[in-house]
Amino acid sequence: MARATRLSSRIDFLLFIGCVIIALVTLVLPLQMREPLAEVLRRSVVAPLVNLQSNAERWHTAWQLSEERTARLDSAVMRGFNATALQSENDQLRKLLGLGARLRTGFVPVEAVHNAVREDVVTTLTLTAGTRAGIKVYSPVVSPEGVVGLVQTADPSISIAILFSHPDFRASAMSGDGSSFGIVYPHLQQGLGSSGEYLLELRGVPFRTTLSAGTMIYTSGLGGTFPRGIPIGVVLRELKTAEGWTRTYLLQPSVNPAKVNAVMVLTPQRAPQRMDNVWQMVARVDSAAHGVVSAGDSVQRHAMADSVRRAVGDSVRRAGGSARPDSGARTDSTPRRAPAAAAADSTRRRQPSDSARPRPVRRDTVRRDTTRRDTTRRDTTRRDSARRDTGARRDSSTRRDSAARRDSTRPVRPDTTMRR
Amino acid sequence: MNWNAVRTAVICAILIVLHYTVRPLLAWNVSIDFLIIALMFGAVRMRPGLAALFGFALGLVSDSLSPGAFGAAALGMSVVGFGASWLKAVFFADNLALNGFFIFLGKWVFDLIFVIVGHRVHGAELFMQIIVWSSLSAAMTAVAGILAVALLRPLMEVRTA
Repeated sequence: MARATRLSSRIDFLLFIGCVIIALVTLVLPLQMREPLAEVLRRSVVAPLVNLQSNAERWHTAWQLSEERTARLDSAVMRGFNATALQSENDQLRKLLGLGARLRTGFVPVEAVHNAVREDVVTTLTLTAGTRAGIKVYSPVVSPEGVVGLVQTADPSISIAILFSHPDFRASAMSGDGSSFGIVYPHLQQGLGSSGEYLLELRGVPFRTTLSAGTMIYTSGLGGTFPRGIPIGVVLRELKTAEGWTRTYLLQPSVNPAKVNAVMVLTPQRAPQRMDNVWQMVARVDSAAHGVVSAGDSVQRHAMADSVRRAVGDSVRRAGGSARPDSGARTDSTPRRAPAAAAADSTRRRQPSDSARPRPVRRDTVRRDTTRRDTTRRDTTRRDSARRDTGARRDSSTRRDSAARRDSTRPVRPDTTMRR
Repeated sequence: MNWNAVRTAVICAILIVLHYTVRPLLAWNVSIDFLIIALMFGAVRMRPGLAALFGFALGLVSDSLSPGAFGAAALGMSVVGFGASWLKAVFFADNLALNGFFIFLGKWVFDLIFVIVGHRVHGAELFMQIIVWSSLSAAMTAVAGILAVALLRPLMEVRTA
């Protein structure tokens, strides 16, 4: 038994030594001999394991790729969000620059920081400038759209402003034409409107004055806090109140406080001055631009209508001339005319060559003008009246025009003019 | 039929398959060596000579995929298998922590032999490999080994009827 155990121990040891020796021999084998051995193993015993490993690595690569793709997509979406935010911020800053250019002096541009605590109705803003920059308590805070609020606390480097949505906010206001005055309060009964907007109330408007919806309301400059002429909002509708001697109106503010990120604080030097030209200038420029565009359109339309009228008149005249073989009657009348009338006639005769050229006219315009005979007639009548000024030739020219008109409306009768 | 040998063979086969599927999927810097766990499992149920042969075979399989150090893994696993089989009395102790320690030790010794004999790294890098990376890898392998032992214990119990 002991011998058998000893024998098996020896065999185990010999096996171990054998394995170690073979391993060491394979280690010292040259590469040219090792590689074929490894290849034989890879192609036979290890082949299924190699397949498993390559499949697993492919799965891992696919998973990594999908993760990379997701990360790339996420970052693209994030860049998109940032681009939108940057664009809106850029727009706001551009407007602010425009306001600064119009104000010229007496303002401090500041960044408005919203409170970290999320509020349903934003009532205060922290401004990134203070008394060192010239900001004082009750300095008006404005944006390119209009009134934002006023400074309540001013520290050396920062200040806190209450917005028009704050319960303590008041501003003296007036309508755009200055006919009615009142005091603007925040609309507290219904802090947020149905569409989430901040609303204001214009109280104390005399009962005799009525403001229609859409009327722009500006600061009146009374009270000394806000200068005159800063937009506050637009009248939405009248509110029913118990007071019988004044009216109260609901206003839609020009500014959305939740979207304010950069504002201007007007310094005490600037505050007493009127601002009529600062904000209303923009509106005037806009309306002037609209006016120019519409005027351009109407001039173009008028020119087209004129050319069409001329073309119609000429075609009528030509039709009259060709239909009458005995148009010698006209040649008879020509010598009787004065040189001025002859000149007018020649001008008129020259016109067909102009109107014969194809012109880019809108078909609907042509149709409208040809169907409306009154207009054509009125035009020709006007021409007649112009000719009437020439005095002596009135009769002959009138006769000629009326003949032409008759030609255009009636079937051609060769002897009509002759008989006349 | 020796069911214990069959069970051991099946479990070793599963662990070898795990080595070539789970490890590439995880692709961790500190990887789990399922081959060492399979060797330790098998070695404690074999005679030392057979365990050395089993280790040698596993090592050759491992070496065939890294021909640069062909034979190093075979040498390391032969030593570890033979040693584990000699120490089976300790390894059989019904203590997971002790089992984990021996798997840790087996993996670390294997890495030591593999790195030194294979001439893969030198100098400070060799020191870092042995002290840091091999230790971390051995720890991970030990944790995986403990989990495997805990899960497979019902299968591995020897019935004494």
